[in-house]
Amino acid sequence: MKILIDKLIINYPYFISVVLFMIGALTVLTRSNLFKKLLGINIMESAIFLLFVAGGNIRGGASPIIGKATTESVYINPLPSALMLTGIVVSVSVTAFALALIVRLYKSYNTTDARRIATMRDEVTER
Amino acid sequence: MTTSLTMNLPVFVVIAPLFVAIMLPTFARRMRLVEGLVIFVEALGLVGAGYLAYTVLSQRGAPLIYQMGGWQAPWGIELMVGNLGAFFLLVISGVSLPVALFARGNLTEEVGGKERITRFYVLYLLLVGALSGMALTNDLFNVFVLVEVATLSCCGMVSTRKHPRAAEAAFTYLILATLGSALVLGGIGFIYMITGHLNMGFASQEINRIWQTNPHVVWLAFSFMLVGFGVKSALFPLHVWLPDAHSTAPSPASAILSGLAIKGYLICLLKVLYNIFGHTLMQEFAVHRILVLAGTIAIIAGSISAFAQDDLKRRLAYSTVAQVGYIVLGFGLVNTKGLTGALFYMASHAVIKSTLFLAAGAIIAVTGRKKVSELAGIGRKMPITMGAFTLASLSLIGIPLLSGFVGKWNLLLGSMESGNIIPTAVIIIGSVLCAAYLLPVIRVAWFEPAPDEDWKDPGISQKLALIILAAVVVILGVIPGPLLELAGRAAADLLVLR
Repeated sequence: MKILIDKLIINYPYFISVVLFMIGALTVLTRSNLFKKLLGINIMESAIFLLFVAGGNIRGGASPIIGKATTESVYINPLPSALMLTGIVVSVSVTAFALALIVRLYKSYNTTDARRIATMRDEVTER
Repeated sequence: MTTSLTMNLPVFVVIAPLFVAIMLPTFARRMRLVEGLVIFVEALGLVGAGYLAYTVLSQRGAPLIYQMGGWQAPWGIELMVGNLGAFFLLVISGVSLPVALFARGNLTEEVGGKERITRFYVLYLLLVGALSGMALTNDLFNVFVLVEVATLSCCGMVSTRKHPRAAEAAFTYLILATLGSALVLGGIGFIYMITGHLNMGFASQEINRIWQTNPHVVWLAFSFMLVGFGVKSALFPLHVWLPDAHSTAPSPASAILSGLAIKGYLICLLKVLYNIFGHTLMQEFAVHRILVLAGTIAIIAGSISAFAQDDLKRRLAYSTVAQVGYIVLGFGLVNTKGLTGALFYMASHAVIKSTLFLAAGAIIAVTGRKKVSELAGIGRKMPITMGAFTLASLSLIGIPLLSGFVGKWNLLLGSMESGNIIPTAVIIIGSVLCAAYLLPVIRVAWFEPAPDEDWKDPGISQKLALIILAAVVVILGVIPGPLLELAGRAAADLLVLR
């Protein structure tokens, strides 16, 4: 048990990432407000980004620029951080598109609540 | 000159649609030019894919490898045209060309003016480019990026329809698909952490060396990948977004989404399962049983849900859920016949489902009727449309001499070889259920008296597209030879011991 707790404390970024992922997934699946769903997606993606970046980090390592590391320290792995830049770009575009869809939904249904939209579904006709 | 073209063909096939997609909005006012460009680039893609498939078939063994920017494998990104890649590339270009032909001059009612139609084509080409990339790429992170491009363009295509329900369906689709891609990205992260590689070949070597020391991480990676791609490819309990999205999208979009987009994610799942983890690891972790189980449940549940729908496009959408079951079941059989069957079924379903959705779209555009029960006598008024629909339905049911039969036959042989009686039985029951939800449409359309209305077949390019697709259904059934050979070799490649 003590070993488990020690491992959790040493690897706290991974633990936080798991907690964030759960929070995000729960928000997406249980909230009916469209904005909150979108926020949940963003939290989930941040959790994954944290997982990657933490995986590439070495405690006490130097930033990966030639000349930064001394003889006793090492460079951290820059690849996961670089990959996550792409991931963030993807996440931003998904968010933008989803916001545009929410605006369109709000214009036709006058609400951003998924449950109320579901009840009004049959009344709305083509704009 | 020719050799350099051949060497660079893999990257051209992926880049060409993306390049034209970005170019299109500048020509938005000249609709004919836009449509011409789209069809031109699709035709070019078909020629390229055909040439690549021919090259792969004629030179046995070694796959064609393209290194992006000339960087060697563990550092750079690889495009690999193996048997699997060439096979799927051929399917993509073979289906997307007739669908583009069908879309020509047919989108005004569902999508809107010139600007909106141009945007639709941009998304269409982005999707085709991303799918081609998925077929060829050999790099895990590249898979994620292409999956995201495909997802965004799919959602965009669903939302091009003016109806507010389309926006709603697109939003649900977007949220669930993004959930799926977050899971896929997590899975990629776990694989990268234990192997230190993003290249599939290198990751596979590492994972087979070290999985015994990190079994939990391998479990996590397996489950993240399975659920992630499962959401995206609408594997049964995760299919909730599919019926709305595929039935509210404009008809060409429904055809391409149901026919191809889902198959792209399935190909990625196949690559991750067999090219990275490998079949020994799959059997060690009993993942193949999960796949067979999910497949059987999807076949039964999807078919029954399809049977309960009266809306024609929704019925076809649920039918897609059932057909995904067949393909995933084939993935789980872990033998050459089963995988060959799954791959060939994928190709034939791509053609069949596009035909069905396009025919349904043509019927809805002409008559304005969406319900199956209202389609009395439509076959006599629109013989070509309904003829294509009938051929495709019979093929989906699995009548011999049509393409669906070849895939189902190989799946059956594979499931018998695996010695498990349940998938064998479910494949046959699935055929019966498929007949139960498709034959009533055919009966109503041909054998009931036609109403006195002025309905006739759609325009020339729509008719041409339907005839081409229906011809492909028949040709693949009568002479499956080359494509079956390619699928068989791709299956053998996947099962190589590593």
